[in-house]
Amino acid sequence: MTARTDAPLYRADIYSAAAIRDTHPHYAALRALGPVVWLSKQKVHALPRYAECKAVLLDDETFISGGGVALNPLANRVGRGTTLFSDGEDHARRRRQVAHRLTPKALRAMAAAVEEQAAEVVEAAVAGRNVDGVELATALPMSVVPDFIGWPQDGREHLLRWAGAAFDGLGPANRQAVRSLPSSLGMMRYARRVVRDRSVLDGSMGHDLQCAADEGRVMPDECAKLMIDYLAPSLDTTISAISSALHLFATHPEQWRLLKADPSLIPNAVNEVVRYESPIRAFSRTVARDTELAGTTLPAGSRVLVVYGSANRDPLEWDDPDTFDIRRDASRQLGFGQGTHGCAGQGLARMETSAMLRALVARVDRIESTGTPEWALNNLIHRYERLPLALIPA
Amino acid sequence: MQISVDHARCEGHGLCADQAPEVFSLDDDAELTYHFDGADVPDEHRSAARVAVNVCPVAALRVLP
Ligand code: HEM
Ligand code: SF4
Repeated sequence: MTARTDAPLYRADIYSAAAIRDTHPHYAALRALGPVVWLSKQKVHALPRYAECKAVLLDDETFISGGGVALNPLANRVGRGTTLFSDGEDHARRRRQVAHRLTPKALRAMAAAVEEQAAEVVEAAVAGRNVDGVELATALPMSVVPDFIGWPQDGREHLLRWAGAAFDGLGPANRQAVRSLPSSLGMMRYARRVVRDRSVLDGSMGHDLQCAADEGRVMPDECAKLMIDYLAPSLDTTISAISSALHLFATHPEQWRLLKADPSLIPNAVNEVVRYESPIRAFSRTVARDTELAGTTLPAGSRVLVVYGSANRDPLEWDDPDTFDIRRDASRQLGFGQGTHGCAGQGLARMETSAMLRALVARVDRIESTGTPEWALNNLIHRYERLPLALIPA
Repeated sequence: MQISVDHARCEGHGLCADQAPEVFSLDDDAELTYHFDGADVPDEHRSAARVAVNVCPVAALRVLP
């Protein structure tokens, strides 16, 4: 249903290539229009401000995920059965299967290995001096996450492309989403085969899921879906956070010096990076029953778009939102979502991003930008495609 | 002011303890300890406690009406 209300109208397409490359001015324009804005191109109500985004995320009975959180009907159908696209008891049961592996407590066992891998990655990069920041940011997640999920060695070369495509496909049905379809389906087919052939790595999260299926706690087909649930959002997002951190510290040398002087700022620096350049732009919800939000009546069955990236720059919530400052308390940022669907992988993402920053702080005197960065063209993921940098050793 | 803790939801992210260490802490096992279970949060810790409730990433904390 596309029931438009009398909310102010935004005609520009926030999913055009130009808007993906230069996204923040669009968010500012949306916020200036009001708390609820009708996107005429996508025919949904967008929520560009912090307060309404948060209210919607915390009210998961009125704003449901079971109808999908994508912006096109095909993706909303294909994604059925995932944790991300479910509500209530179904959601709780699916999340329970694996979320316990991702808690900070469970991750402690991995911490030392992740620190070590981060140190190796940074040492190799410092030796090369001129690096592509995106490549540098990719190395750690790629060496940690596939093992953790239990993805077999064979097929890993496709993971990044598949995961990126899965996100692209959650946008509106534009040219990019259509182009991503074969890759998304490829990932689904591959995941089903991994489950069928029982080729997940022993002791991994995927192995847990396989056991859950054997014991009848999840259906076999659910098993493949849940693997994707955890695989798709676990690479590009973290790569985005790490590469944005590299760019932000290259372009804010005073912030880098603060971090070097006091590495205990690292956890909050991760929050500030995720606030400032939120890796996921937006997800949607279906309105379950007629309701009112900030004075706008939203009809049951319509869709709202929670724009994390804009909420995190809302001047009604943040002082000088466009200033990158690792000393501000950024812990209430919404870049990981919040509430029932709050990111299940944030402990791992924080751990990887912090490990990279610690390794950099210890080995690098300063980070210099050596060329113009380029943003990747993806409907959902806000990350660099190319980030030319020089790492000056300490 | 009282706070309820939904232990089934809490995943031990510890952001609450960072904000209000007098009210919440994590034990050695990374299990959440809430220091005012069944009692009112003392006035001097109220605003920190509210911030803590506000940052919990999985909304496991609630201020009781
Ligand atoms: C910086 C990195 C990351 C960011 C910014 C991020 C962001 C998000 C956001 C915004 C949501 C909320 C979805 C919603 O509101 O509907 C989410 C959910 C989720 N994330 Fe992440 N994520 C990151 C890393 C990860 C990693 C590393 C994993 C897995 C290992 C992961 C797994 C998940 C899962 C399974 C959900 C669905 C939770 C549910 O529906 O209950 N994420 N993430
Ligand atoms: S912030 Fe929430 S999830 Fe984390 S320890 Fe506190 S109550 Fe638990």
